[in-house]
Amino acid sequence: MKNFVKLFALSALLAAALPAAAQHIVRGRVSDGNEPLMGANVVVEGTSRGVSTGLDGSWELAVSEGETVTVSFLGYESQSVVVTAGTTQLDFTLREVQLDDVIVIGYGSVKKSDLTGAVTSVKMDAVKDLSAMSVESLLQGRAAGLQIMNTSQDPGAGAIVRIRGNSSLNGSNTPLVVVDGFPIGDAGNLSQVNPADITSIEILKDASAAAIYGSRGANGVILISTRTASGNTTRVSVNHRTTIGQFTDKLNIWRDPLLMAEIANEELTNAGLPALYTGQYNNGTYYPSLIEIRQGLWSNTDWTKLTLRTAVVNNTTATVSHSNDKTAVNLSINYFNDDGVYKKDGYRKGNISLNGSHKLGRRFTLQTSNLFSIHQRNVNNSLEYGRNPLWPVYDQDGNYWRASEQDFGHPLIISENVKNVTAGRDLISSLAAEWEIIDGLKARTQLSYNYATSIQDAYNASNTSQEAHDRNGIARINNYMSQDVLTETYITYAHKFADRHDFSIMAGHSFDYNMNRSLSTTSYGFVNDNLGNENMGAGDPERNVINNSYASSKLLSFYGRVNYQYDDRYLVTVTMRADGSSKFGSNSKWGYFPSGAVSWKMHNENWMKNQRVFDELKIRASWGVSGNQGIQPYQTLNRYGQEKYWYADKWQTAIGPGYEAGREGANDRYIIWGGIANPDLKWETTSQWNVGVDLAFLKRRLRITAEYYDKYTTDLLREKLLPLSSSYDKMWVNDGSIRNRGFEITVEGEIISRTDMSLTATLIGSHNRNRVTSLGNAVSSGLSTDRLTGMQYEYCGQSLSMFNANPSIYAVGYPMYAFYGYRVKGIIQQGEDPGFMSSDGKDLPGELKYVDLNGDYTIDDRDRCIIGDPNPDFTASLNLAFRWKNLDVSLFLNGVFGNDVIYNGYTYDPRVKTKRWTPDNPTNDYPRLNSTRSYLFSDYFVHDGSFVRLQNISVGYTVPFRNIFIRSLRIFANVENAYTFTKFDGYDPEVGVDGIYWGGYPRLRKYTVGLDLNF
Amino acid sequence: MKRLMFTIFAAAALLTGCNLQEKPYGLYSDSNFYKSEADAESGLLYAYNALTFLEYSRGIFYLGDIPTETMRPKSDEAGDVYQLENWIAGRETEQLIYYFKYCYISINRANTVLAHTENSQIMSPEARNRIVGEAYFLRAWNYFNLVRAFGIVPVQRQMVDDLSKTTPASARNIDELYDLIFADLEKADRLLSVNKTYGRADKVAAEALMSKAYLHLASSKEHNVKHYRDSRRDPQVMYDSAAYWSGKVIRDYNDSYYFDDDLHHIYDVNAPQGPEHIFIMPIERSGTQEGNYSKLPLMFLPSNNSVPFYIRYGNGSLLRANGNGWGVFICEDSFVNSFETTDMRRTELIHRTIYDAAGTEIVPNQVQGYFSVKYVDPDFIGEQTSARPYLIRFSDIALVYAEAAGPEEGLQWVNAIRQRAGVQPLPANLDIETFRRFVIRERAFELAFEGNRLWDLRRTASVTETDVRAAGLSEEETAFFPIPQREIDLNPNL
Repeated sequence: MKNFVKLFALSALLAAALPAAAQHIVRGRVSDGNEPLMGANVVVEGTSRGVSTGLDGSWELAVSEGETVTVSFLGYESQSVVVTAGTTQLDFTLREVQLDDVIVIGYGSVKKSDLTGAVTSVKMDAVKDLSAMSVESLLQGRAAGLQIMNTSQDPGAGAIVRIRGNSSLNGSNTPLVVVDGFPIGDAGNLSQVNPADITSIEILKDASAAAIYGSRGANGVILISTRTASGNTTRVSVNHRTTIGQFTDKLNIWRDPLLMAEIANEELTNAGLPALYTGQYNNGTYYPSLIEIRQGLWSNTDWTKLTLRTAVVNNTTATVSHSNDKTAVNLSINYFNDDGVYKKDGYRKGNISLNGSHKLGRRFTLQTSNLFSIHQRNVNNSLEYGRNPLWPVYDQDGNYWRASEQDFGHPLIISENVKNVTAGRDLISSLAAEWEIIDGLKARTQLSYNYATSIQDAYNASNTSQEAHDRNGIARINNYMSQDVLTETYITYAHKFADRHDFSIMAGHSFDYNMNRSLSTTSYGFVNDNLGNENMGAGDPERNVINNSYASSKLLSFYGRVNYQYDDRYLVTVTMRADGSSKFGSNSKWGYFPSGAVSWKMHNENWMKNQRVFDELKIRASWGVSGNQGIQPYQTLNRYGQEKYWYADKWQTAIGPGYEAGREGANDRYIIWGGIANPDLKWETTSQWNVGVDLAFLKRRLRITAEYYDKYTTDLLREKLLPLSSSYDKMWVNDGSIRNRGFEITVEGEIISRTDMSLTATLIGSHNRNRVTSLGNAVSSGLSTDRLTGMQYEYCGQSLSMFNANPSIYAVGYPMYAFYGYRVKGIIQQGEDPGFMSSDGKDLPGELKYVDLNGDYTIDDRDRCIIGDPNPDFTASLNLAFRWKNLDVSLFLNGVFGNDVIYNGYTYDPRVKTKRWTPDNPTNDYPRLNSTRSYLFSDYFVHDGSFVRLQNISVGYTVPFRNIFIRSLRIFANVENAYTFTKFDGYDPEVGVDGIYWGGYPRLRKYTVGLDLNF
Repeated sequence: MKRLMFTIFAAAALLTGCNLQEKPYGLYSDSNFYKSEADAESGLLYAYNALTFLEYSRGIFYLGDIPTETMRPKSDEAGDVYQLENWIAGRETEQLIYYFKYCYISINRANTVLAHTENSQIMSPEARNRIVGEAYFLRAWNYFNLVRAFGIVPVQRQMVDDLSKTTPASARNIDELYDLIFADLEKADRLLSVNKTYGRADKVAAEALMSKAYLHLASSKEHNVKHYRDSRRDPQVMYDSAAYWSGKVIRDYNDSYYFDDDLHHIYDVNAPQGPEHIFIMPIERSGTQEGNYSKLPLMFLPSNNSVPFYIRYGNGSLLRANGNGWGVFICEDSFVNSFETTDMRRTELIHRTIYDAAGTEIVPNQVQGYFSVKYVDPDFIGEQTSARPYLIRFSDIALVYAEAAGPEEGLQWVNAIRQRAGVQPLPANLDIETFRRFVIRERAFELAFEGNRLWDLRRTASVTETDVRAAGLSEEETAFFPIPQREIDLNPNL
């Protein structure tokens, strides 16, 4: 900080330096067409005369006639003008260099035109007005082949990120995220980095680009660069955004208690049970009769008012940066506060980012980057906003009213008596030194450190759940910490021979040590709830539960890359990485990941010189291998389990072979036993072909990039079943394969491109086709066989209690997470033969008409087939950006097509119940009411999840005032999730990769206003 | 400056040296456990603990009682229980798969104790004898469960620590399994002393189990049960052995083990150390997960809308019971009605009415049928109870003795049990076959809902004549449950 103050002072001095006067004075201004540019260099060519522009972009110099004045500014194209006689005023309007001209790749950067692999840059400009906790959610629809699912809108929630589909069954499918050259881990919730500090994002998609990350590159890589100071000046800026959220749909709850009671009675009566709302006590609760309800003597509580509120997000960033020819420093501070839609549910964080670089002499540079954040999450979500409206909030004595001893659903009791707070700190820090040993030969070494710690405090008072009641309060404190140390050293040599042979070589190594540990404590049995979890020693000491864990892993790597370019026409890239990981079996610690790519810039061929169609015509092809090591440490080792056994009047610890590796069965009641060693366990291997073409027409105003890829993942990390008599259930092996194929297209057009007006359009489309091609040996994998088609499959994901079944499968020849269940063809009408017989009433009028696929006149598990696929066929987005003078408007549409969604709980929704089948309303769409019916998982619950969302509309205005103090001011407003076009009946079809819709609450339409102020 | 840079880069280059072997933290494994007597003791408890998982402990009733005329599951019970009830259980029946699996889990845990302890010098000979003896008992216990349920099964004598040991070969015949069981129990008998301890087995438990195994073999061979008919053993010799070992149990250890005169006391959840209990599963309501505590009462008791209710005994005393029972295990009316009307095992231990705290009958109630009150914990915490399966009872062994020794020696033991239950003694002049039939019948009443009945029916080849749901099947078809499909698919050495 002290240093920073010094630098600040230094910069002030520099800015004040004045040129020596001579000849005649020429004055002028430098701007980018909008704003004045401060700190641009204005020099007289061939002399030592030069000056930096002032705050308002003005300059003056003594120039002789015939001399050339050149203006340069980082990030802009330089301009030169020859001074003629009588020139006293020279204004320059500099054009911005295209930001994507140089793009970052793993361990280096290249000119975009020299890329051989599939790399997409995301322009942060397009999303800079949006407010977000972490950057991933903003990337939706912004890059071809990148799929982002914002499934949760809760404060602090991350996003699901995929590049080119899913390719692992049990390991991670999430891309690696690399911040300033430091691999942080899985993408999804990079809250450690304030999105406003990010200057560029590169998505590495194919093997040529990602294989340099070896065993961590199989799911693609997202490279993030944070802001550094530039421009030989001092800048201060303040950015603020305030967002309020409003539901895009009405809450799906009972508003008319009479209707609710009628429906409830009908539901029970149809099931042959006594009606509930009859003016009688049931299980200790009085249920008024319909007449009593009609009389209006009963409360009609609006629980939504008690549980929900308008969500508000505030996001403020202040940045100070300074640079001169030796030193650059950027400091940025952010405060982010998200008050969720549930009362008392919130998230807040503060980020501080400090990075800088300093040149030591001509050939040495030191750099540092530091991101520190503090965050706190108060969880108070999933309150029962749909609680029975007939139930009052308070009883006569003013206490909260509970329906019975077993009623633990009162949202106010839960709000006030459940504590669940997680607070954490993160530090991502790196130090780097760069040494240009001779011209063209550079060495760089980087030491990076990532530290994360969090503490969760939780208390469930005895009136908040059955378990807490039985146990007299449950108190928890959970501690977690992780750290990651990475050293990385590589050298780069670039040289051009004979003006045609352009070589660059990079070679290096890295060592990564990752460690995490946790300590969780639980205690029960408190005398009262007054202290919550503040004094855990006051619980029943006999029933304390303590768990701790520690895991560490090491990754040692060697890597290299050779780029060769002939005559700016033919390009070749070859990369290689060798990774040794401690996580894998002693017989397969090392893996090797090669890749190669070629590219041909056809437009630079002589025979193309005279054509006028193409400004760019470049074709690319690549192949390579990358890995996925996404399993936990110690999976390859023999491992004992531990349990408790009651002996000698106390709980004794019992230890022995067999370790609880998971759970299965209804309510996860059965244990899956693991713990047997597999010394051969190794990486999942993904090999990928990619061909691409880059086209530009009409003076580059129309640009098209298209890619086709074929990605094949083998040696999937799977658990092989063992015979029951082995006493183990499963052991990890490498078995099975998955294929992803697809194409991506990006079309960018500058429809209007004038100084005072511009309109650009970007259209992005991606298609991915996912297939499970093998699940290994069918017997040892324990695969089931569909008796009609012979399809082999296994269940995946979670069981849905509504169906008491697992809806999703991995099936050979089908996409991952395919839905497997029954077919339904409408509703059985009176007098109709449903085509099957059933002993439990499934064949009665008003029931779902299941299809008897195998024709045996019964409905059983042999009548199932594939009934849906949650993977989209196509995703597309369209971004339109319009600028007229100081006004800018943008519009962003995002669409997902051809994916299926399981509407979990569809027939429980009030909206659906009221449309039920009755003898008088013989609908073919909604079954009759029946409170005890068990539902089979059928395509009746599989709905089309396609949607097109008007994701964002944004309007901004740059206030055109010139002020010595304020350099620029921009105010803006935008709407996110403005409108969604969809056939889906639930709140919103944007759900997770497994396609299961859970309800929750409607998507929020977010209104943001903000300003960016630069000094 | 160059020197500084050179130093930095040289240091960075040196950081490559590292060892990729994993050093696990906080994990016990073959390499760091079994270093002391306490380790071996803990390993032994792990082997015992396999019995407490609900996959195994509920199997006691799913296999031992549901497929008989004594008990049925509630009509809408989920899962495959109805298959067991209706004698259509197959290779995929969930309860059979889990029972089979947990027998081997306990066997592997016992084998691991034996592998590390039998020749270990780190503990005193006394401690070693006890630990090894109990491990042998446990191994025999699990093989006896396997052979009764599945017949000829794979034999695993080693601990499984790599892939090559995961596919054990099947026993060649029934004798090979009984050879193993008897050898293990003889070792246990030799190594163990009389030491009545709640939740663990001692010398008496080993002898009791030995007598049960001999009796099972003897009567199975006598009744020409599948596989047993190929046994080289002579049934009379087996009956004699059963009588010898059970005779020891009931006569020689009367300081610790004897008839409990008070029928209620046997099933008192707070008296697991009663004189009847030779081997009992330790279950404690204060446990943190199911298995440590049990929800066994909920399986038997009817629901009263979550409001605790009371059971009223003949003397008017009330026993508090969970109000949120699931009523899964329902006593068959025909079986209940086959008790003599004065039989206290019927009047005191099987109920159909429930009461409130004042002792007033709750009407109407949701009781679906007769329910057994052998598993009730009045001090339940929510759904957590201390109710535990009775694994070996003194009365069981007394009846083993009676059956094996015949009317002359055995009558007094049967009649002692009948007298305690308040029914007339058996006449003295019965021939041995009739007497044995009466003893089996007595076992049905005395050991009702304790996971015993099916095994008695199987060893006397009388499943199909007793349980109407098995009618139409042959005794061959009911003699064993099928080995689970997963074992057949994955174990090439069957």
